[in-house]
Amino acid sequence: MSGEQSGHMKVTRRTFLTGTAAAGVGVLGLDLSATAAYAREKAAALRRLRITTTICPYCAVGCGVLVMSGKKNGTSAVANVEGDPDHPINGGRLCPKGSGLYQLANNEKRLRKVLYRAPGAAEFEERDWSWAASEIARRIKSARDATFTTRNAKGQVVNRTMAIASVGSAALDNEECWLLQKFLRSLGLVYVEHQARICHSSTVTSLAATFGRGAMTNHWIDIKNSDCVLIMGGNPAECHPVSMRWVLEAKEKGATIISVDPRYTHSSAMADIFAPLRAGTDIAFLGGMIKHILDNDLIHRDYVVNYTNAAFLIDGEYRFDQAAGVFSGYREADRRYEKASWQYQVGADGEPVKDPSLRHPRCVYQLMKRHYARYDLDTVSGVTGTPVEALRRVYEAYAGTGAPDKVATIMYAMGWTQHTVGTQCIRTMAVIQLLLGNIGRAGGGVNALRGESNVQGSTDHSLLFDILPGYLKVPTASQPTLGAHNDACTPKRLGRLSANWWGNYPKYFVSFLKAMYGEAATGENDFAYAWLPKPDDGVDCSWLSIFDEMYRGNIKGFFAWGQNPACSGANANKVRKALARLDWLVNVNIFPSETGWFWQDKGLGLEPADIKTEVFVLPAAASVEKEGSITNSGRWMQWRYKAADPPGDARPDAEIMNMIYRELKELYAAEGGAFPEPVLNLKWDYFRGDRFDPHALAKDVNGYFLANAAFPEQGTKFKKGERVPGFAYLRDDGSTSCGNWLYCGSYPEAGNMAARRRREAGGIGLHPEWSWSWPANRRILYNRASVDLDGQPYDKETPVIRWERGKWVGDVPDGGWPPMNVDPESAKYPFIMKPEGHGRLFAMELADGPLPEHYEPLESPLTANPLNGRMLNPAVKKWEGEADAHADYGSTEFPHVCTTFRLTEHWQTGVMTRHAPWLLELQPQVFVEISRELAEEEGIRRGDQVLVSSIRGTITAFALPTARLKPLMVGGRKVQQVALPWCFGWLMPRDGKGGDSANLLTPNIGDANTMIPETKVFMVNIKKLDVAGHPEAAL
Amino acid sequence: MGRACLVDTTICTGCRACQVACKAWNDLPAEKTKFRSKGDGYENPPALSGRSYTRITFHEILDDGGNLDRSVFVKRQCMHCEEPACVSACPVAALQKVKGESGSAGAVVYDVEKCLGCRYCMLACPFNVPTFEWDKTVPKIQKCTFCADRLEAAEPANPQVNDQPLAGESLERFEDTQRMPACAKACPTGAIEFGEREDLIAEARRRIEEKKKQRGSWQYVDHIYGEKEVGGTSWLYLANVPFDKLGFRMDLGERPYPEYTKLALDAVPPAVIGLGAALGAIHWISNRRAAAEEADGPETPTGREGEQAEAASEPEKPTSGEGQRAV
Repeated sequence: MSGEQSGHMKVTRRTFLTGTAAAGVGVLGLDLSATAAYAREKAAALRRLRITTTICPYCAVGCGVLVMSGKKNGTSAVANVEGDPDHPINGGRLCPKGSGLYQLANNEKRLRKVLYRAPGAAEFEERDWSWAASEIARRIKSARDATFTTRNAKGQVVNRTMAIASVGSAALDNEECWLLQKFLRSLGLVYVEHQARICHSSTVTSLAATFGRGAMTNHWIDIKNSDCVLIMGGNPAECHPVSMRWVLEAKEKGATIISVDPRYTHSSAMADIFAPLRAGTDIAFLGGMIKHILDNDLIHRDYVVNYTNAAFLIDGEYRFDQAAGVFSGYREADRRYEKASWQYQVGADGEPVKDPSLRHPRCVYQLMKRHYARYDLDTVSGVTGTPVEALRRVYEAYAGTGAPDKVATIMYAMGWTQHTVGTQCIRTMAVIQLLLGNIGRAGGGVNALRGESNVQGSTDHSLLFDILPGYLKVPTASQPTLGAHNDACTPKRLGRLSANWWGNYPKYFVSFLKAMYGEAATGENDFAYAWLPKPDDGVDCSWLSIFDEMYRGNIKGFFAWGQNPACSGANANKVRKALARLDWLVNVNIFPSETGWFWQDKGLGLEPADIKTEVFVLPAAASVEKEGSITNSGRWMQWRYKAADPPGDARPDAEIMNMIYRELKELYAAEGGAFPEPVLNLKWDYFRGDRFDPHALAKDVNGYFLANAAFPEQGTKFKKGERVPGFAYLRDDGSTSCGNWLYCGSYPEAGNMAARRRREAGGIGLHPEWSWSWPANRRILYNRASVDLDGQPYDKETPVIRWERGKWVGDVPDGGWPPMNVDPESAKYPFIMKPEGHGRLFAMELADGPLPEHYEPLESPLTANPLNGRMLNPAVKKWEGEADAHADYGSTEFPHVCTTFRLTEHWQTGVMTRHAPWLLELQPQVFVEISRELAEEEGIRRGDQVLVSSIRGTITAFALPTARLKPLMVGGRKVQQVALPWCFGWLMPRDGKGGDSANLLTPNIGDANTMIPETKVFMVNIKKLDVAGHPEAAL
Repeated sequence: MGRACLVDTTICTGCRACQVACKAWNDLPAEKTKFRSKGDGYENPPALSGRSYTRITFHEILDDGGNLDRSVFVKRQCMHCEEPACVSACPVAALQKVKGESGSAGAVVYDVEKCLGCRYCMLACPFNVPTFEWDKTVPKIQKCTFCADRLEAAEPANPQVNDQPLAGESLERFEDTQRMPACAKACPTGAIEFGEREDLIAEARRRIEEKKKQRGSWQYVDHIYGEKEVGGTSWLYLANVPFDKLGFRMDLGERPYPEYTKLALDAVPPAVIGLGAALGAIHWISNRRAAAEEADGPETPTGREGEQAEAASEPEKPTSGEGQRAV
């Protein structure tokens, strides 16, 4: 709902840019109006404009934007878009995508009508909303009723349907994400997924396993506080352009900037040190750094002993078998680990056994030392292809920050996450940061650069099959009752001084159920726990599995909501074929996409008449055409205002959900059907008529007291109906509701915290009163590790918090307990989300090992792993169907390592940016970067058309030989790397000359922990095409 | 006094926000482009034109061994000369240098309505900047305006954001950034700094000297391009590789170009200065430049600005001086 309708703002007409051409004449005797013919018109128009703020809808830097809008033909329209000069992150600056936002709002290619494609039809037909909503509701009900499963094969209550799946969307506002998960789960869907699975799922799992929370630890501005910035597995200059202002500010103050990448990128151009590596070998590279740190005793000892599990003793049975390439507990039969031998030794007093001297052979520190002994410079260089000298330079520059007053940070993205070892790759860096004492510190942390404007929020609000809002867990079939679920998911405190914050799990879970089902959730019915759909234990229901099931014809109905899987899905040929096996597809977007139009794809090898899938394309509002919040990579929840009306029949996503839900509810009320309770009893009071009120939903996410409550210890009292000020007040008895405990406190009685716009004066860049940051407005996670045992900051120049006169000052402390030396009895360790309160160098909950180990990708130029006896991560799942081919190790047919990358000018699959003419002008057509050496060998010149092929598909691209890519010496022989941007698609530009998605080549295999696809490395061949478009015959 | 921009190429990431921000503010249409078979990187569109007032050129600088030393990105647009040749060449005073205390002082602006389309300015410009609207039926000259319309903007009355009045530092930030060129405002890293020309020269000098103190660090080339070239320009550049490797003309000298024109025109009474006289002056400049291009050697003119020379070799975009002569 817009400000006008909600009454939160009143529209004013104001004067903008009163300076005109005419004024120029008077002063200068010079007719400035002539500077451009339109100037007078524009100045006149801008004078009538209203200015509202929004946050850029592209990457997750979260830049502030001013939108100047006015009335045009009776509807409000965007007239000009510029950076918000007040915004602390971007200070008015914008990248080319943000600078071109005007063309997102004003674009003739925007979807304006509901489109329907009947089975076998060759064209879309225009329809209206009421028809579409009732037809879609009818199809959902039919599929749901026909396939609803009350009990699984084991007889466990599951209340689900596996015949409908949904992907999307990080492009939705927080309020819409939360509403969508509510709607989908009421239907019984377990196939609930979105972008986060395929971009940063490995980040969430890795960082949660190490530190306790799965998010970027610090935030964008804080990068300026660093003494050394490692850019590896990411390319912020091109993918998060505005973030580079903070990198360069650090550099200006003397920080060393390091870039490690298969390609020399624009980020490399800003770096002091560049080191190339073979794609997919980051664990080997970083494992070598761990060895360098341990061998040279460069650790921040005080920090390591007190705040990490380095001193903890591990079970005597734990070992790594180098010859077999597996950790203890491996079961070959089902490719899984038994993790009993990875656990701590616990004393009779219930305390974990520790050796603070770090000398005990079973302590984590010594186990690590032994594990990484194999990662010497020569071995690492042989794996990564990085010259030894370059390795040494990077290690020395980075590891030099183990000194207590020095701090280093890492900026990474898909180059680390999208691998079969993605989770462990990030873990390697997390381990390094703990060893150097860089977590919790200003200028430190592990900074996952998230790529969609609200992918942090869409993850927090759980559009993923295995989590519920706030990283609560999706109940599984083996948990028949709320009690069983809570028991399985609530960790036990390990050690007297551990806070074990997840011990509060039941409070958050019950409060969530109250937000889902309202008064229908009661103590008597287990708070409607049974209504949540439950997947079977151990069964993956993530992205790759959805498309595999769809390919097999097991999925009838599919929502692609603000997503374009036909281009973003790994092994996109399989995805595109799978779409043709659906009964119906609902595609919600602001532009036409290769997904909604898949049945017109000539590459599919099918005629439209042979494709029976019904397609509903629903036109959505763009970000400036609705109101709500999004959460950036640094966890800042920022409010966006409505500036303009959506074009034609386009509607905000929440209203689209509402139209379908209302129809469906009516159908169930009138006709009954399979398990109607969750559909009929969903708490759904966020609409005034058919208009969405994002404030009402944001308040529900924040949470309410459902009964009067008194807290004598804090001296506070609350009335029934008041909003909860923070998650510490949530209860497990049904007396509080809270849609997402992590966002509790974002919309208290004091108002909408996300809309705050007060900048910090001075300070280290925390800006505590600008928007709101989860959790509890804390800007730097684990910040109690930034101080010594007396509560005094390791780094005096950029202190995050400090214990002063009996209290903490600075950032919101990560747990308010006093420092260890101040009060040894009531103090708590700083990593409060872990049961033992310590950062985990050794992490026992992961699927593929407690310490990161290098394995080769699914496809590799090598035939043996130089570091251990196993090529592929032993805990990954391999699909072996007809569409799941992969090249043999050392294949001569596909001899070159290929990686994919993103362009500054395009975003994701390019649906939004390929439709923006200013951006398409900058990057119009797909190309492939190759080394000059490879170009010479293959007789390829710049601009030649080449065929790039993997075992799964081919694409045609223009060749771009460049000195920025060099062949590497790997395993004693020369290996070529080539690189493809993945932002192109056959549908747009309309002439078909833009090319297609690099994902036609990528493999559908996932990481062992999260099933994030390995889209960042695979093997290809490359051949020049002759004039007729055929590969040139070898002479 | 005059406004200027300092482009520090050492912190330009080549993101090309400037190109889009320019189009957005100036309502310029996108060009239909294709993957370019020339150049070092992703450059597009291929040349400055009536639809593209600015563009970034990409440069891969190789070391002696032929390996990549670094990538450098350079913003191109009208240099807004202190004493512009185009202004002196224009027979109808459609082009003017803004002087005095005006907000846009420093800009070289033009009046499309006065423009005859004679293209003398194109020939006169030492940087080959003004371009011709080849695709229009009544073509005019177009070039970067320095966003003079932004720079001239008077204070807005009671600006409000989200219906809250702006005040204090917020108001200052708003007004400061509204009154700078769109490209300078957008630049994510501050590689384009807007300010008074004198101040920016001092700042550039400070950066050069500051780096000299950091031993072992990379160094700026000890030269502020545009400080003195052709009598000085309002766009100034810093670089850490020699400017000639980045396509900058090093043969222009420090003498303002109009002085050459003046030589040719001085003998003629003002009353008879008209199209013919201007044409003669242009012919003189044009010949001089053609001669310069054929010469060789480090101290003599060695060639045309990189991007224009390259554009000329792409026949589908006849936007350069060469292309024009061929028409």
